[in-house]
Amino acid sequence: MKHAFRNTLVVGVVALAATLGFGVAVAAPKIDAPAPDFSVVDTAGETWTLGGLVGKKVILEWTNHDCPFVVKHYASGNMQALQKEATEAGYVWLSVISSASGKQGHVSPAEADDLTDSRGAAPTAVLLDTSGAMGRAYDAKTTPHMYVIDSEGNLVYMGGIDDKPTSNQADIAGASNYVRLAMADLAAGNPVTTPVTRPYGCSVKY
Amino acid sequence: MTARLVAERSEIAPGETVDLALVFEIRPGWHTYWRNPGDSGDPPRVEWTLPEGVEAGPLSWPRPEVIPVGPLANYGYSERVVHLIALSVPADWPIGEPVRIRADADWLVCEEHCIPESGRFDLTLPTGAGAGARPGPIDPAQAEFFAAARVGLPNGRIEGAALGVAGAGLGLVIPLDELSEEIDGAWFFAGEWGLIEHAAEQPWRLLDGHLRIDLLPGALSDQAAPDGLLVVADALGEVRSYEVAAVRGPLPEEVARDRPIGLPLAFAFALLGGLILNLMPCVFPILAMKALSLVNGLSGQGPEAARERVLHGVAYTTGVLLFFAGLAVLLLALRAGGAAVGWGFQLQYPPFVVFMAYVFFVIGLSLSGAVTLGARLMSLGGARTGSGTAGAFGTGALAALVAAPCTAPFMGAALGYAVTLSWPLALAIMLTLGFGLALPFLLLSLVPQLARLLPKPGAWMETLKQALAFPMFAAAAWLVWVLSVQTGSAGVALVLGGLVLLAFALWLRERTRGLPSVRRRWGLAGTSAALICALYLGVATDRLTAPTLSEGEVSASGLASEPYSPERLAAAIDARRPVFVNMTAAWCITCLVNERVALSASDVARSFTDAGVLYLKGDWTNRDPAITAYLADHGRNGVPLYVFYPADGDPQVLPQILTEDMVLRAIRTSAPGSSGRDG
Repeated sequence: MKHAFRNTLVVGVVALAATLGFGVAVAAPKIDAPAPDFSVVDTAGETWTLGGLVGKKVILEWTNHDCPFVVKHYASGNMQALQKEATEAGYVWLSVISSASGKQGHVSPAEADDLTDSRGAAPTAVLLDTSGAMGRAYDAKTTPHMYVIDSEGNLVYMGGIDDKPTSNQADIAGASNYVRLAMADLAAGNPVTTPVTRPYGCSVKY
Repeated sequence: MTARLVAERSEIAPGETVDLALVFEIRPGWHTYWRNPGDSGDPPRVEWTLPEGVEAGPLSWPRPEVIPVGPLANYGYSERVVHLIALSVPADWPIGEPVRIRADADWLVCEEHCIPESGRFDLTLPTGAGAGARPGPIDPAQAEFFAAARVGLPNGRIEGAALGVAGAGLGLVIPLDELSEEIDGAWFFAGEWGLIEHAAEQPWRLLDGHLRIDLLPGALSDQAAPDGLLVVADALGEVRSYEVAAVRGPLPEEVARDRPIGLPLAFAFALLGGLILNLMPCVFPILAMKALSLVNGLSGQGPEAARERVLHGVAYTTGVLLFFAGLAVLLLALRAGGAAVGWGFQLQYPPFVVFMAYVFFVIGLSLSGAVTLGARLMSLGGARTGSGTAGAFGTGALAALVAAPCTAPFMGAALGYAVTLSWPLALAIMLTLGFGLALPFLLLSLVPQLARLLPKPGAWMETLKQALAFPMFAAAAWLVWVLSVQTGSAGVALVLGGLVLLAFALWLRERTRGLPSVRRRWGLAGTSAALICALYLGVATDRLTAPTLSEGEVSASGLASEPYSPERLAAAIDARRPVFVNMTAAWCITCLVNERVALSASDVARSFTDAGVLYLKGDWTNRDPAITAYLADHGRNGVPLYVFYPADGDPQVLPQILTEDMVLRAIRTSAPGSSGRDG
């Protein structure tokens, strides 16, 4: 009975995999397809859903204030500048914190607001995705991990903020900012030239 | 953590190359990263400041490990990693002038959080004075260190690998020429981000001359370079790694035959399994009594007695081997006849299940001491005190016969393997199994002195024997459960009634054995009647039908399913409705695990509903020619089988070990409006 033998192995492997949290990665979202919906509260207790943003262009930024790659873009003012540029161009900018309770980067609503104030950040809202449901739906892997959604609710960009995957602020000057490029393509009515890139940074602390 | 840069030689020579090592000693729990760091992280980088003409090669990347981080995975290193760098000095470098180099390294080290670190390393390497163009001696203190560092480097490069789309995933097919066939574990590290999902499982199997690994495609799977590092472990735990440069293209036609273990290993398992059979509660009493009779009855000195002992041993071995040969021929004949020989297929026949439950129950009773069966079995084998070679032959055949039900857990792999082989090899495997069973007795007959090595009989044997009754009862309980799925509560009532009758028959036989002949005859008659009734109840289960699933019934998995029928499937395909087919059986544990793990999640139920998927469930617990034919169409002879038919496009066969992710992915790739670039 081959099955008996194999089944023992299977049960073992499945149990092991479950223990390690392996193989539970969710399906990745797709470019030019409707972006996954979400329902997450912001620091003011308001609930945000993608369905409630119909007709608006949206940028999602996964963040973790302690991650050196996030620090690179905030300490240099790069992220804040991009946030202002985007919101002035009519984008809804949502910064998402998916760190689970007790994990590094997890903050209370008040702490998140303090971070926004002290860093001079300009997102439309900061979402507290403590359950990680939104992060998993988007397959968000790193901080920062950037997503651009067009006004029809389709995902048009996902990946890194730029093409210099380092934590060194000096690299910002010579980098091509993929989010800015995607915004330019959308403004010109063109499809996004580079819709998928490698996100770089620290892992999201689910 | 600490970092340093060291050279293998204390002196270098013009025109030569010296190996440098960038060494990271990493605190426990922290990691640095491979060239593709996986889902996050960053590999170390080095900026060199070198004199003109001196060149530093790229960093070497020892074999990494997979570091799971929640639902994500990184490729990296823990404890210590050594990156080697080849430094070459031009031929016209002035002798005697030291080479001064500087390395500015940046690296990221992460535990839960990450710290970017950097270091500046200055090295001054003297060039040999007057010694001409000869490199200095290898620094003995460094030699061992460098040798250890090289162990982790790739063992070679494999050409001719193919990467292609397979259903909802990717298949990587690697020629085995370079690898040994005795692979016990395999993992593919993608060389670039985006090729695969780093955290996904990588089921692998050996096909004719190839290793095949199933991968989940990443976000850039059609653009990322199809290369990386293959890490394989053999049965002894030795790990080797190979650079793999795959070519994108269609995968070779997959032969529906997996080889979970290699040929030499199968023979070893077969022999070992045969040996273990001797310890089985159903074989051991026979062997023990036979051995005792041999030692006691034939312990005479001289060539005559020795000759008779050997004759006994050979006859016994022949009996065992003939039985196994017969079993092999039967098996192969069934296979040749096109019968659906999937292991467990017998369990589709309810009377067989009942019969097996009876067998295990009686063996259990016998072991626990409630009844004594040994003597009768022995006489059945014609093995009363050494009654000649014919008796020995009979005992051998009997031992093999009673061993057959016990073979499953030990022999499963070897037998399963044998069925897939050409018939001479299959026969050889079966005979090896038989030889393993016969071996202890054969040895005893050749060297009777070995009997002294047998453990001394004593009270422990009785305790062990009684303890062994419980696995037998457990097996009987499991079989009753299988029957309950096949025939519903009526079948359970029949089998439980049969078990009571069986116990009564054995008790009656036991009580009346020593009585005067008339009463004994009554006892025997009563025993026989009860036995016949029990058997009749068992056969009667065949007329019962399984409790049928009514249409649209919500199964335990929370998904509304309909019973599979070819007509229903064809109709849905015609209507361009997506269909998910699940072929399962109550006695298939893999199926049940998959249904719990992958098919019961609310996400799956929702995605089925959203995509309007028709869920067809084929229950192979009982024989069903339509399902057998469907399995055969897909090159299978057993369950589970999962096939997803998108509304348009080719059906996809999903892996036998299913995850929620695979199901969601299959449904999503076919969902309308998702014909995106990586669909």
